Amino acid sequence: MADRILAEQGRVVRHGIVELLEHWTIALSGLLLLLSGMFEMPLAGRYSIDKVPGLAWSSDFITSLSVHYVASVVFVAAALFHVVYHGMRGDFDLLPRKGDLASSWQVILSFFGKGEEPPFHKYLPEQRLAYLGMAFIIGGLIVSGLVKTYKNLYAPDMSLTVLLWATWAHNVFFMLFILAFLAHIGAILLKPNRPMFRGILTGKVRLDYARHRHPLWIDDLEPPRPAAPGPVAEAPLAEATPAPERSPLPEVPPEPLPPSAQESGSGEGGPEGSAVPKSDPGETRQKS
Amino acid sequence: MKKKMEGITRRSLFKVGAGLAAAGGLAAPRSASAGPKEGRLATLIDLNLCDGCPDRAVPACVTSCKAARNAQVQKPVDPIPVPFPVGKKGIEDWSKKQDVHDRLTPYNRIFVQKAEVEVGGTRRTLSIPRRCMHCDNPACATICPFAANHKYESGAVVINPDLCFGGAKCRTVCPWEIPQRQSGVGIYLHILPTLAGNGVMFKCDLCIDRIGSGGLPACVEACPRQALLIGPREKIFALAEERAQKTGGFLYGKSENGGTSTLYVSPVSFDVLDQAVAKGKGKPGFGPAKRRMEDTDGLGRAVLVSPVVGAAAGVAGAMGYLAKRKERVKREEEGNG
Repeated sequence: MADRILAEQGRVVRHGIVELLEHWTIALSGLLLLLSGMFEMPLAGRYSIDKVPGLAWSSDFITSLSVHYVASVVFVAAALFHVVYHGMRGDFDLLPRKGDLASSWQVILSFFGKGEEPPFHKYLPEQRLAYLGMAFIIGGLIVSGLVKTYKNLYAPDMSLTVLLWATWAHNVFFMLFILAFLAHIGAILLKPNRPMFRGILTGKVRLDYARHRHPLWIDDLEPPRPAAPGPVAEAPLAEATPAPERSPLPEVPPEPLPPSAQESGSGEGGPEGSAVPKSDPGETRQKS
Repeated sequence: MKKKMEGITRRSLFKVGAGLAAAGGLAAPRSASAGPKEGRLATLIDLNLCDGCPDRAVPACVTSCKAARNAQVQKPVDPIPVPFPVGKKGIEDWSKKQDVHDRLTPYNRIFVQKAEVEVGGTRRTLSIPRRCMHCDNPACATICPFAANHKYESGAVVINPDLCFGGAKCRTVCPWEIPQRQSGVGIYLHILPTLAGNGVMFKCDLCIDRIGSGGLPACVEACPRQALLIGPREKIFALAEERAQKTGGFLYGKSENGGTSTLYVSPVSFDVLDQAVAKGKGKPGFGPAKRRMEDTDGLGRAVLVSPVVGAAAGVAGAMGYLAKRKERVKREEEGNG
């Protein structure tokens, strides 16, 4: 994890370069898989999609299968890399925690003006649940897709039962993947979530946003500041603690604090260079 | 009729095999007596023997196939849904033309082509039964998005009419464009009849139910000259090779489309036959038929190894990270100490 506070920039590094690459590799190859997967059904010719410039290949089933295979290589390798790499490092922030279901409901209600959001860790509870759901869908797509690929190459006469399961599982997970993708986009369009979009593009989110909405995460990154005022400097909040009174999120990042008041940090793998040089390494807290 | 079908036994296969062997001056394939339902099967179509049943209005293989299989095609709904946005021209309705027998249709899964050729200096009309070749790695089946088309261990490639949406993808990828569509029947009627699907695809299924119970495909059983033979693959292939060698003939189906379960033995080359037969919709030729899926095999293999590559990269990346962290902790400890 490259998470660290860049106080001078008024930003927090939320994702390292490896995570950004993983996300976009899986996202872009996944979109190509969705597209080429749809073209594996006989619709491109029927609906003249193949007349669209650049999509002439869409009604050629052999070409669309090649495109599907190319995207699969990237997608499957990236997914396996993700599981193994983060599994070995012990990066489990995105795995659901106890109480996530109830918290998610609370967050959804808050979107409709009913109650306050609880304070968040790095990820929202629904992000953790969505991650598990997406992992399940991607896992299903990969396993069933590998069975189908093996059949194409080596076992066209494999057991019909196995093949029917693999084929229909692939089709069902394909539809779930589309729904999950739409939900993912829908979630990022929600106003309270929009600041996170910057995070998945640049790796960083606004510090004021993070302090306001992810105080538990910031607590992990900041050294204890016993005398500092404000909700962030108070005693760390437990998951079940009711949301503290928080001021409305400012639309524009505040002016950077004077260097003497900054909490700075540096770390490996940040997407945009290093943080402000710090005088004492002991003051910087990275989550690793 | 059903009773008669059920009555076809391994003995009758042996009879056909023995008869054919006698006609060809060859020993009967011994394994023919073991019955066709065991192991992989193949069919031999000998153009030296087929005469197209000149004494009949319709060749026996065609008539028997119609009688045995056409009940599979349900009566289409009336009116047949008009496929959007293709319009009425997208409807393929053969239900009122069930008697057509000079091409492949859902109601005519085998037909006999004619070819005027010169054999040994003499003009001859060859009769060529045409139907699904039952390929070894059939793109029509492997690429079906619903697994409605499947290749069985016996070698038979069979479309399940209850699962097929009639998108005709199988016909598009078949080098001979064998499967034929009947619009207005099938599962698509219950989903989005005007927007997705367009009927059911039909083709020869090698009478899989009959061979499963030890019988013969209807066409093989009906052929009065035993020009069609089915049996264990190795034996049939050996027999076809032997006949071609003996007569100076040619083989088709052994390597076409990556190999098939149907071998033609012809007294003239298949280039000549390809030129001589009338080709068009439902009337396949005898082209070289390259297996197009072959172009994707390399990528498919890359897909199969991609989990290993991804996992290995993950291990390498994590090991690098852990080593760096260990080093940093060590440095910090040294700094503190």
